[in-house]
Amino acid sequence: MAIKQIAPELSYTPTKKKGFYKFSDSGIASYLMLAPFVLLFLVWAVYPVLSSLRLSFMRYNAICDEALSPCGSVGFGNYTYLILQDSRFHKALFNTSLYVIGAVTLGLLASLSLSLALQADTRANRVLRVIFFLPSVTSGIAVVLVWGWVFRGDDIGLLNSLLSTFGVAPVEWLATPSLAIPILIFMSIWGGAGFGMVLFLAGLNAIPAMYYEAAVIDGANRRDRFRYITLPLLKPVMVYVVITGTIGAFQIFEGVYLLFPTSVGSIGGLKDMALMIVPYLYDMGFNRFRLGYASAVAWILFAIIFTISLINIRVTKSLEDLR
Amino acid sequence: MNAKRTEKRLERKNDELMERSGNFENPFETKGKFSKYARVPIYLLTVVMIAPYYWMITSSFKSVKELQKVPPTLIPEKWIPGNYWDPNYDPNMYQQDIMQGLFQRFTKVQFGFGRFFLNSFFITTTITILTLLIGSLAAYVVAKHRFKAKRAIYLVIIGSMMIPWQVGLIPGFLLVDDLGWLNTFWAYIIPALPKAFIVFFLVQYLSSIPDELIEAARIDGAREWTIYFRIVLPLLKPAMIAMMIFTAIGEWNNFLWPLIITQSQDMANLPVALALLKNSGAGNIGTQGVIMAAALLVSMPTIILYFLTQRHFIRGIALSGIK
Repeated sequence: MAIKQIAPELSYTPTKKKGFYKFSDSGIASYLMLAPFVLLFLVWAVYPVLSSLRLSFMRYNAICDEALSPCGSVGFGNYTYLILQDSRFHKALFNTSLYVIGAVTLGLLASLSLSLALQADTRANRVLRVIFFLPSVTSGIAVVLVWGWVFRGDDIGLLNSLLSTFGVAPVEWLATPSLAIPILIFMSIWGGAGFGMVLFLAGLNAIPAMYYEAAVIDGANRRDRFRYITLPLLKPVMVYVVITGTIGAFQIFEGVYLLFPTSVGSIGGLKDMALMIVPYLYDMGFNRFRLGYASAVAWILFAIIFTISLINIRVTKSLEDLR
Repeated sequence: MNAKRTEKRLERKNDELMERSGNFENPFETKGKFSKYARVPIYLLTVVMIAPYYWMITSSFKSVKELQKVPPTLIPEKWIPGNYWDPNYDPNMYQQDIMQGLFQRFTKVQFGFGRFFLNSFFITTTITILTLLIGSLAAYVVAKHRFKAKRAIYLVIIGSMMIPWQVGLIPGFLLVDDLGWLNTFWAYIIPALPKAFIVFFLVQYLSSIPDELIEAARIDGAREWTIYFRIVLPLLKPAMIAMMIFTAIGEWNNFLWPLIITQSQDMANLPVALALLKNSGAGNIGTQGVIMAAALLVSMPTIILYFLTQRHFIRGIALSGIK
């Protein structure tokens, strides 16, 4: 009562909100600011995902001619064929799994050891960190082209000419099925270890030095400090590196596309030795225009990535609960 | 003024965080016998890291004759510019030792290889500016407006990050086709604009900025757009710079989407042009020098950008990874 008499504008009386203010305190500005992103997002992110789900249950090609190449629903046909019968897809799945396991585990080890080796803040280390990080900002295609030369099968190939000085006969690096995946794994580590290293360095730097000081006072040696302080405290970074690394590795495309072409305009190299999921998707979608089938491949890719991320998070959670 | 101070404070806090370290040496611990050699593997690895770049640079200045040498020369016997531009080149007659330089190829395309630079530059800058503008506007509304359904909208945006982008690849292609955008800049730019990660990152960053700053401006009677341009944007600067660099490098190196939507050479971006170049002279050793020249030119801009913005870059990765 008193306040109302002294300063009536300070007293609170709920007013009925009108117009745009009904939904937002900031009125129409909220809508105008949100609209460009949301509209574009609906058209170019939400719609394609929903549409691809629909396509994945269809036989669909860009022509859709009744007589030549009819389109229409096939139910789960695409999926059952992919999972049960398509041996090329099985090959792609197998290759990708091998590649992902190798690239992620070795990549994790490489980036962790790099970060430990280069963590001291000296001038030399700063330079080395830059060098190891360079591939992350270099065009993947440019790098793949250099590797293409390194692994050339004739004696002009760099690796072969290096070997020939030791008297070893030229090896057909890119035409030997057992070497395809290891070469791709090597390229992935060369290209990705620096990025993981930067993440680990940030994680290392976030560990307060006093933990180590306390540990030293308690008589912990170098190895104990690593085992009981560094490793546990780096775990969040490790989970992040593994999850993002796995997702990235499943999507490998450029290396396969450029280094392992096959003569008939298809992808995957000799005997599909380097065929992976995304190259297979590209092959089905844009070489053969089996767009429905390719969409089903994309959704299987999603299912795999999603499950693995979930498992990753669950496993780390349950390990935490154990402690 | 106030905004500037907060920004400074955040920056300082960040730097402090970086300086605290898991990098701890016990001054009383004796080092092992072999610690003198502990750095040797790192230096060997450094050589492996640099080698592809070294090869790109040196072999782009070698003559065809020198490129064919076994074993290859480490340093060019004679540095020649022919892989880029050979002044003696005459398209009407073939002569030995005279090369068709990089900028003398792609004769059917206006400006030759330079055209791809223009394409890539235009696409990258446009996408980077627009995507950050609409992304930051949306992030501001999500983080700082009281807005009905904003939680739901934000959830959809974050959720979309779990879906690999290849899932929307085929419907995206069909949509671009229906709009008649195939082989145009529209197809490059518009679908690339809504980036969920940018909104996510900026919302995270904004939520660490106190609401009072914005409330105060509102009480002073500032309109929403004024608040956005005068207070929010300056506060977001560090985060925006990091996102700008990421987006620019990502778009510059983008390959699969451009590969699908370009149908004529003159609309290719640089990575697609590299692939075209590679496929045009697949096994021919004579084109290797030209390919290396192109790979070098394509990689340079992002590497330079990285060198110029290193601090922001590394901090950006740390911010996005460790949160």
